[in-house]
Amino acid sequence: MLLSRRDLLDMALRAAAAPGAAAFFSSWLRADGGHQASGFTAPPEPPLLRDHQPAFFDRTDFEALRAFTEILIPTDETPGAREARCAHYIDFVLQASTEAAPDTVRQWREAMAALKEAGFHAADAASRAALVEAMSRPEHDGTATHPAFGAYRLIKQLNAFAFYTSRAGMIDALDYRGGSYYASFPACDHPEHHTI
Amino acid sequence: MELAQAGLKVLMLEAGAPVDPGTDFRHRLLYQMDYRGRGKPGLLRRYSGSERNYRIMLDNVENPYTTSPDTVYAWGRSRCLGGRTLHWARATDRMADYEFKAASRDGYGMDWAVSYADLAPYYDRVESFIGVSGEALGLPQFPDGPFLPPMALNCAETIFTAACRSLGWPSTHRRLAQLTRAHHGRPPCHYCGNCVNGCDVGAMFNPIAVTIPPALKTGNLEIRTDSVVARVRAGRDGRAQGVTYVERHTMKSVDVDAKYVILAASTLENTRLLLLSEKGGLANSSGTLGHYMMDQVSGGGVSGFLPRLKGGPSRLDDGKAAGITIPNTQNIDARTARKDFIRGYVMNATGGQTEYPQFAAGFPGYGSEWKREIKSRYVAQARVWIAGAEMLARKENFVELDPEVKDHWGIPVLKIHFTHGDNDHKLIEDFQQRAEELFRKAGGEVMPSARRGGPDGFPGAPGAPDAAAPRRALGGSIHECGTARMSVSPKDGVLDSFCRTHDIPNLYVFGGNAFPSTGDKHPTLTMMALSARGCDHLLETAKGRDVRA
Repeated sequence: MLLSRRDLLDMALRAAAAPGAAAFFSSWLRADGGHQASGFTAPPEPPLLRDHQPAFFDRTDFEALRAFTEILIPTDETPGAREARCAHYIDFVLQASTEAAPDTVRQWREAMAALKEAGFHAADAASRAALVEAMSRPEHDGTATHPAFGAYRLIKQLNAFAFYTSRAGMIDALDYRGGSYYASFPACDHPEHHTI
Repeated sequence: MELAQAGLKVLMLEAGAPVDPGTDFRHRLLYQMDYRGRGKPGLLRRYSGSERNYRIMLDNVENPYTTSPDTVYAWGRSRCLGGRTLHWARATDRMADYEFKAASRDGYGMDWAVSYADLAPYYDRVESFIGVSGEALGLPQFPDGPFLPPMALNCAETIFTAACRSLGWPSTHRRLAQLTRAHHGRPPCHYCGNCVNGCDVGAMFNPIAVTIPPALKTGNLEIRTDSVVARVRAGRDGRAQGVTYVERHTMKSVDVDAKYVILAASTLENTRLLLLSEKGGLANSSGTLGHYMMDQVSGGGVSGFLPRLKGGPSRLDDGKAAGITIPNTQNIDARTARKDFIRGYVMNATGGQTEYPQFAAGFPGYGSEWKREIKSRYVAQARVWIAGAEMLARKENFVELDPEVKDHWGIPVLKIHFTHGDNDHKLIEDFQQRAEELFRKAGGEVMPSARRGGPDGFPGAPGAPDAAAPRRALGGSIHECGTARMSVSPKDGVLDSFCRTHDIPNLYVFGGNAFPSTGDKHPTLTMMALSARGCDHLLETAKGRDVRA
């Protein structure tokens, strides 16, 4: 059950009637005043990625990366990497990593070079899909190899993080419920879960 | 709080900054932060914690420590008003008599100078005041308290509870210093799941919400933040005169005098202060100061999925940030004695949706089918982890002052010598087997490649190749204990049963220092109970009554 603002105020007033509590409650009531989520309506995503101009990757690498991320996490019945602007996020993080994480930067440069070497940049949509399929094969088949498998894995890892920590991934795709105010914790209401 | 309420004038010196829950604690979903909780690459090399809570952690550059070459130990610290209680796990379990008397039972180490009966009234007092939600079990190895109603179990926890029942293992709701109803002017938990980033309403115990406000109300407490205590000053009369501290920002040195000095700066910082206060260590006639360092052992665990939950609707599974507890059932008495190791451990289990599906990055596949599988498994995640595993006290695990390295204020830092012994490894191996047994009984699908830490590939994240934190072979649980253990005889330890130093009658040390052994419970409640008992002793002493340890 969600806690309304009125519930919170009522609760605070009841609790604050106790000696010594007023100063404390004034503090957390202020906390609730402006910037807290108060229901299932998750707050909007900040404009960071909407306004982001790719700078870590050059234009062709960025276009290839964007296409790759959208193959990995496509838009279907729920949003995908496109709506989450995963490629923009990856570029944003790597821009910030130049000094702090030079090894990571090098890995990404090498990954994009491997992708280009594999022909991904120049391929059409169908060929790109086939290439990703080939690159991913070692995930399922221990005997398979592909020179760009490392690039596939690197992009997949940060792409998954970028997607499932975005509003599109966390709220729209996964329906995450936390980070809000509730009056009670929802107990398991499945009798079948009480037996093995 | 008790000292101020009893009429004593109290000066509290806090090395870190003040904290205001109204401005410092707020709910933020990952996408509301530029770096989605991981911080700008490189930031978390300087600070502990995450993008959300690093401000209530510690600046590692200003506050370094060193280790011996064979030490693998990550010392988790906070420097701010409230310290680690602002982001603790809230686990509030009483130690049982078999833990206080473990040495008498198995012959290893030293019994505590207090028994369960000595501490029980103080457990009662602390629990009643701070509010602990839980369920009475009636198990002697897991003593009950005056609990608030327990939090409800989610689906995964319900399944694990059934699995425990099927195995013949006891289990219960985690006992937490987290309110399930209004208590002493504080509101109940609102199940945001944000506990480790600071509770914005004071529903979980921490001093800034619970003990400091009533102490301030007496008019007897003065708090000076940003005051880095450098040493205790001892007089020629064998008593502590007061302390010297350095103003954090101005670097000005200030002396304050006091009738009584209490060190409550966290376990290892307390010991550091004693070591800084006199060559060879203040109150160290026993020669044990700094020695017998312990930290409950962690490591291993099982992550995976409960197939029965796959494809279900999203629920607020992580809103209470809790789980179930499986009390120790081994080495409690002769009947439960193991031949291959001594002491025991407590396990936890939980599951369901989480803020970020950690498994997704390594889960094979891609495309729409992969997305659907991630969504299906997202609500079926499950894990079993170790809550507290007793680490044996060994003299060769110790802290000393580093002869060369100093902190930002020119104060010598600690050098930690810390390794695990054979029994510690055997305990964890046994836990791993039982964790997998529980997981299998629950019908769980184990994920063999599960890794702890941040997402693979995120620059500067824990677990990434360039992470600053050392990897731990066997981890610590941020439950460091010992280094000034209590003893009946002054020859065997630094503190008496009231956590007063044997050598200096007006010097008390509150924290985990007094522990002669870690036990298998989370230590915080026992630290609080020992502190309450020590405060009673101090008050009696202040009245001129000589209370014997």
